[in-house]
Amino acid sequence: MPRNAVGREIPEEVGGKPLTPFQGAFATVPQGRKAAPPLKTIRPGEDKVLPSLEEAIRRVGLSDGMTISFHHSFRDGDLLVLRVVEACARMGIKDLRLFPTALFPCHEPLIRYIEEGVVTRIEGSMNGPVGAFVSRGGKLREPAVLRSHGGRWRAIECGEVHIDVAFIAAPTADTYGNANGMWGPNACGPISFSVPDSWYADHVVVVTDNLVPYPAIPAEIEQGYVDYVVTVDRVGDPGGIATGTLRITRSPTQLRIARLAADAVIAAGLVRDGMGFQAGAGGISLAATDFIAKEMARRGVKAAFAIGGVTMYLAEMLKEGLVGAILDGQAFDARAVEFLREHPRHVIITPGFYADYNSRGCATYMLDFAFLGGTEVDLEFNVNVNTHSDGQLLHGIGGHQDVASGAKVTVITIPTIRGRIPTIRESVTTVTTPGEVVDLIVTERGIAVNPRRPDLREDLRRAGLPVRTLEEMRAEAERLVGKAKRPVFGDEIVALIQWRDGTVIDVVRKVVGWE
Amino acid sequence: MELVREASCGSDERSDAWVSVRPADAISVHIASKTGPMYEDRIREVKVREQGAYDHVIRARLLCALKRAGEDGEAFRRPMPIQVAREGTPKGRLRRSRLYVPGNNARVLAFVDVFGPDCVILDLEDSVPPAEKDAARFLVREILSSMDFGDTEIWVRINPLPRGGREDLEAVLLGRPHGICLPKAESPVEVAELAGFLYELEGRYGIPWLVWIMPIIESPKGVLAAPEIAKASERVVCLAFGAEDYTAEVGCERSWEALLWARSGIVAAAAAAGIQASDTVYPDIEDEEGLYEEAKRAKALGFDGKGAIHPLQIESIHRAFAPTPEELEWAKGVVAAAEEAERKGHGAVAYRGKMVDRPVVARAKRILEMARAMGMEVGDAA
Repeated sequence: MPRNAVGREIPEEVGGKPLTPFQGAFATVPQGRKAAPPLKTIRPGEDKVLPSLEEAIRRVGLSDGMTISFHHSFRDGDLLVLRVVEACARMGIKDLRLFPTALFPCHEPLIRYIEEGVVTRIEGSMNGPVGAFVSRGGKLREPAVLRSHGGRWRAIECGEVHIDVAFIAAPTADTYGNANGMWGPNACGPISFSVPDSWYADHVVVVTDNLVPYPAIPAEIEQGYVDYVVTVDRVGDPGGIATGTLRITRSPTQLRIARLAADAVIAAGLVRDGMGFQAGAGGISLAATDFIAKEMARRGVKAAFAIGGVTMYLAEMLKEGLVGAILDGQAFDARAVEFLREHPRHVIITPGFYADYNSRGCATYMLDFAFLGGTEVDLEFNVNVNTHSDGQLLHGIGGHQDVASGAKVTVITIPTIRGRIPTIRESVTTVTTPGEVVDLIVTERGIAVNPRRPDLREDLRRAGLPVRTLEEMRAEAERLVGKAKRPVFGDEIVALIQWRDGTVIDVVRKVVGWE
Repeated sequence: MELVREASCGSDERSDAWVSVRPADAISVHIASKTGPMYEDRIREVKVREQGAYDHVIRARLLCALKRAGEDGEAFRRPMPIQVAREGTPKGRLRRSRLYVPGNNARVLAFVDVFGPDCVILDLEDSVPPAEKDAARFLVREILSSMDFGDTEIWVRINPLPRGGREDLEAVLLGRPHGICLPKAESPVEVAELAGFLYELEGRYGIPWLVWIMPIIESPKGVLAAPEIAKASERVVCLAFGAEDYTAEVGCERSWEALLWARSGIVAAAAAAGIQASDTVYPDIEDEEGLYEEAKRAKALGFDGKGAIHPLQIESIHRAFAPTPEELEWAKGVVAAAEEAERKGHGAVAYRGKMVDRPVVARAKRILEMARAMGMEVGDAA
């Protein structure tokens, strides 16, 4: 089996579809033209509002084998995916391909519909139980496909994924289909993940619980792309947005990592007027950003922009004048949603603006530095975001690949031990992001500098920061916890991990035992 | 092995293990493991519910459960197999920061080796509830013998000798710490008694170095006796100040002014005995600037270091105790002048018009040493 540029065996084809192995972060030169949706028209006075999801499903002709898409802006509070799949099941539709931006623990009931054959393929991030279920193998007709935010945009745009029906949960919409997530009783922040779906899908259904008089503005989703508008009692639960680690950590170990990460970008001279940065929503990233904010305030430095996932911490930085603009693709807490309404320089961006490989420039390329996480790293600086060391597929890629590719300095923050599991491996279980786009790996034991960046190494050394090798830190952690057994993988491929350009950087195989 | 009752030890906290044992006709083992198959061959020998606990944590929990169940054999008093290389430390080494860590908290102890204070103090006293003292002894002992602390000096704060301190020593000396903190020290007699125990246990367990003593002065009586406490044993290397109990007993505020006499008394007692003094902890973890300012004042008063209750306090303390450029320059000048005088056979020497005698040279050397330890450019001055 041929190996790709990060040494992973990639089959030449899966289920009759040829796979292109990953060649390098920027090796692919796109060919051809974008895909095109069908031409449509309506006449003045035509009514788009339908009484039920079932009616919409009938009108668009949703049938066996088709692809349906969703955004994940409600994160763990999403209600629409299950409602649509349940409706399809009731109507006897089966063999669907699910194309969400991401699934969360709230989507666990999908497992039943996978077992019943209603859903047979999934292309999208799977956070939690659905991923664990798929990892067991034999569940889906084809391997799941995981893409980054930019990668999903690209796949739609180039026609790699054809969407039959896009269902768009809209906290606010008008009868003509203009829609946004900023307003309404269940506002969730941007719903711009669905913008490409609206542009390229054969049929577009906006689903809302807050129908307002024309026009609903801003129109994140525009009327010209929308076939039908359906009202439901509740479109999603914003309470599910802020789950997980969206607060500054209080763990001494994590705070130490955050401090080292912040000190590293300060030492690299990146904290300066006009900078751009991305702050993740993990506890360590937030803490590191907080340290940076304090340094900025102390030195009177102002950032030109920050990219979200947006939390209240970032919103506060904008309010205090530490950041000139927030480019927001996704809200991570209620305060971020409020702020989007209040502040003119807190603006919504699409995944294409943010991260598309096949574009003439995306926002991540303007980043000076970014803090990212991972489940594992290895001695080649590769990062695993998707699987745990036991081989289970439990997380999506998010913007990880896109941000790491773009930022001048990409900082991975990771403790060397989680529970008892060591995170620095000789070779990661799954490669999500290749070492060639990773600059620093920061742990509680020190900072490893990618050998491709002798300049950074010198900056850090001069600042007296603890520069260590990954091998040293790996050995230290292993001395404490012992050598962990590794899972043994079988032949069955349960998921493909795409690089953002559409090539395959790794595959996830079914675990068949332990060494 | 004779078990007479059912007993358990540990918790379901992260990085900890819960172990239970009971008398039975045959050995049976049940495991509930958070790490799944990844380490199962390492934990098969014990009965645990573990939450990502390291081997030494599981071992400590098992030993304590066995002891609680009635087992009290020789195995509990044998020296530990030496798992990490450790050497004794110099009497006058840098002790800018002493970080207190609760001795029964596996979750905090899992990363205790990475924070880089000059001294780590594994605590058996105030942070451990009475019912868990035995568990903490086993855990601290296992941490001591299993974890490599690098350049950090590793201490244990025992309970007062009449209230479990003796049992603490019996257990933790097996793990070969560098030193013992004696809380609520009020008389040289206690220190001498502790020194006697240490002498005996060093011999029994084959510890090749002198185990140091750090009396913690935390009462008015202790402050008044500080000069004698400081000189009570050659093992005493540092007097530490504990303001919380002192404040309560005196009935004063926890302000700089109210504690100034006690602080000065401790510094003077330590200096008179030729040993170090370490200031009390700063209780507000969030207030980095307040900590930094208090540490600066402690340094100005003559303290050599300060206590920390959170790892993030270490940096502020080290920053405060770092020599200023002026101090550094002065120290280099003094040492150079003294060496020059020695070469020429002169007894007394002056630097910048001021007499330089032995203590001044010692102070200058200490500043240079501190600067060097902090990675500052010192040149080749001695």
